[in-house]
Amino acid sequence: MITKILIATLSMAGISGLLAIILVIAERYLANYGECKITINNQKDLIVKGGSTLLSTLNSQKIFLPSACGGRGTCAYCKCKVIDGVGPLLPTEEPLLNKQEIENQIRLACQVKVKQDMLIEIPEELFNIKEFETRVTLIQDLTHDIKLVRLQLIEPYEIFFKAGQYVQLITAPYAGVKESVSRAYSVASASHEHDHVDLMIRLVPEGICTTWVHNYLNENERVKIIGPMGDFYLRDGEGEIIMVAGGSGMAPIVSLLEKISKEDIERKVTYFFGAVRKKDLFYIDEMRNLENEIGNFTFIPALSAPEPEDNWDGETGLITEPLDRYLSRSDNATSQAYLCGSPGMINACINVFVKHGITRDRIFNDPFA
Amino acid sequence: MKLTPKEQIIEKNFKLGAITKDGFMGDDVRHVHDIIQHDAMTLEKLGISSGELAARMQFFIDLGKEAIENIVDWNEYTIQVIWSRGMLPCPFGEPRLHHKIFIELRNNKLNKSIRYTQLNVHLIREHGFFEGKGSPFRLEPEELVEVLSLDQ
Amino acid sequence: MEGLSPWVIFFASIFTGNILLVYFLGMCSFLSVSKQVKTSLGLGLAVVFVLTITSALNYIVYYYILEPLNIEYLRYIAFIIVIASVVQLLEMIIERISETLYINLGIFLPLITVNCAILGVSLFMVIRKYTFIQSVLFGAGSGIGWMLAILAMAGIRARLNEQKIPPALRGPGIALIISGIMAMAFIGFSGIVQIQ
Repeated sequence: MITKILIATLSMAGISGLLAIILVIAERYLANYGECKITINNQKDLIVKGGSTLLSTLNSQKIFLPSACGGRGTCAYCKCKVIDGVGPLLPTEEPLLNKQEIENQIRLACQVKVKQDMLIEIPEELFNIKEFETRVTLIQDLTHDIKLVRLQLIEPYEIFFKAGQYVQLITAPYAGVKESVSRAYSVASASHEHDHVDLMIRLVPEGICTTWVHNYLNENERVKIIGPMGDFYLRDGEGEIIMVAGGSGMAPIVSLLEKISKEDIERKVTYFFGAVRKKDLFYIDEMRNLENEIGNFTFIPALSAPEPEDNWDGETGLITEPLDRYLSRSDNATSQAYLCGSPGMINACINVFVKHGITRDRIFNDPFA
Repeated sequence: MKLTPKEQIIEKNFKLGAITKDGFMGDDVRHVHDIIQHDAMTLEKLGISSGELAARMQFFIDLGKEAIENIVDWNEYTIQVIWSRGMLPCPFGEPRLHHKIFIELRNNKLNKSIRYTQLNVHLIREHGFFEGKGSPFRLEPEELVEVLSLDQ
Repeated sequence: MEGLSPWVIFFASIFTGNILLVYFLGMCSFLSVSKQVKTSLGLGLAVVFVLTITSALNYIVYYYILEPLNIEYLRYIAFIIVIASVVQLLEMIIERISETLYINLGIFLPLITVNCAILGVSLFMVIRKYTFIQSVLFGAGSGIGWMLAILAMAGIRARLNEQKIPPALRGPGIALIISGIMAMAFIGFSGIVQIQ
């Protein structure tokens, strides 16, 4: 009886053991892609361990492709051209790429896996994107729901960016939130100041990152940022510069104005800032100072619903109204428009600009909308 | 238990801080399918489809969106929409992003207010999901139907 | 079953004894993966591969290990272990060769393990006392038969999308009815050759 049980057990164990060994060997050879070489823009070679996605592999090599969704395959920001070394288009990529992109071998870096030597192309300026270790030196209330956060760079100690660009702020885990997330914020400090960046962060209802900044982040803490990114910056031209912003959309505009002031750009500048009540207005003094420093600059704040105690005597109404009035009086043939704020505001303002003959190619807005 | 890839995605995305600060489940211990099922039965009792409900919710968002954060009065409702920058993916893993639009809606006749987001509208319309109890954006179907005056 | 030519068994298991439409084994994945012809083909090929390999391996396990040791009663466990490992192996191979197929098959690839058609074939092979060659061809034939059935189903379902179907029957309902009709059509083959 005992021998019978023993034989049965041993033989089953033997079969399972043998199969397990075969699987382990197979795993060793099939699931191991060894070292792969990624050639970027035909000039830079990276030797990496295969098997992970292109996005995370590049990240581990300190090359940061933009990504808003964290590799879930939803935002389609991490598009890059893969010339060689990749399988056919995946069903998870298909809905996010158009026909032209598919023909141009554009792929989503967060879906494509590194399995062999690859030949890829990414825009040159992405090489400039770095991860910065910083220290919070100032957290200041600008309004009841917007804070200014100053980050002193530690390593690397200098950042070079175009006024208007943004950086990604990486949160630390807090309260119930176990993982880090990254969110994009425009830089509000001047682009000629290389040792720090200022961010203006408005509390989003139940927002992961903004709640962290407003309620958990303290001065002297260390945080990481990645940047600079984005193609919202001052374009060459002769005509008037018309800027429109609302809320924390003030940030990149301040940076643009600092640049205009520093470089003595002699163009007419008009800046509309929209808010609901007086308590939503901020940086008024800074703007009045800039009006003195920049030759031909006018700052026009507008309140849409001022409280009686605000004693408001400036422009009232939705920001589109003073803008509409202004544009109907001015010559818009060569004007450029720069917009930053909530998507609703941007959409409404774009309509006003287009109505007054400022074509879409002369309207620039920040990319988070 | 082995989960299907879709359930794995849902499980991951529902966690605190994966897509939203407090996740989608609150302190609800039921399985997501059970939550959806239960709310679907409530809706059926009320005689409203999730499509109608979502359409009404979307109507108010669109109404408030125009005003750029200003308070809008419309019939017996007072609404304010705050449209923040950035996008949120759907936790059910579809390749489409949703605007971060937040609405506070007050029914002055009933003296009751509710708040919801654009993502809520999508979750109700496409997935019949009202979020787990205790989640900050959990919507009770009965309350929603009542405040949106769909019960007349 | 000594006398029967392996090729007869091969063709019989494709048509007259179709594992899916005659024995109704492996319905689960048949109903859920038959929405697209392309993925059905992938899963079909995977099933052919797994069936052929497992019937050979299980033959060896049964006649060279279980029978001499008098532990035939453990065949269910032994067969399932072999099937599970082969599926794991297949999963690795598919992931390496075609990521598209890997994503499309999704959960159904590991689920082949519990696809009753696979275990069924191994058990039939023992019950019917096939020789080694017969077993392998029986496995391959059953796999091809299964693939044929799911491909036919996928082709029909692709057309179904454009038809007006009563709401209550949409999805699995109409699929079951169709597989019933297909099964009846396959009875037409039964005059060709009969195996048990």
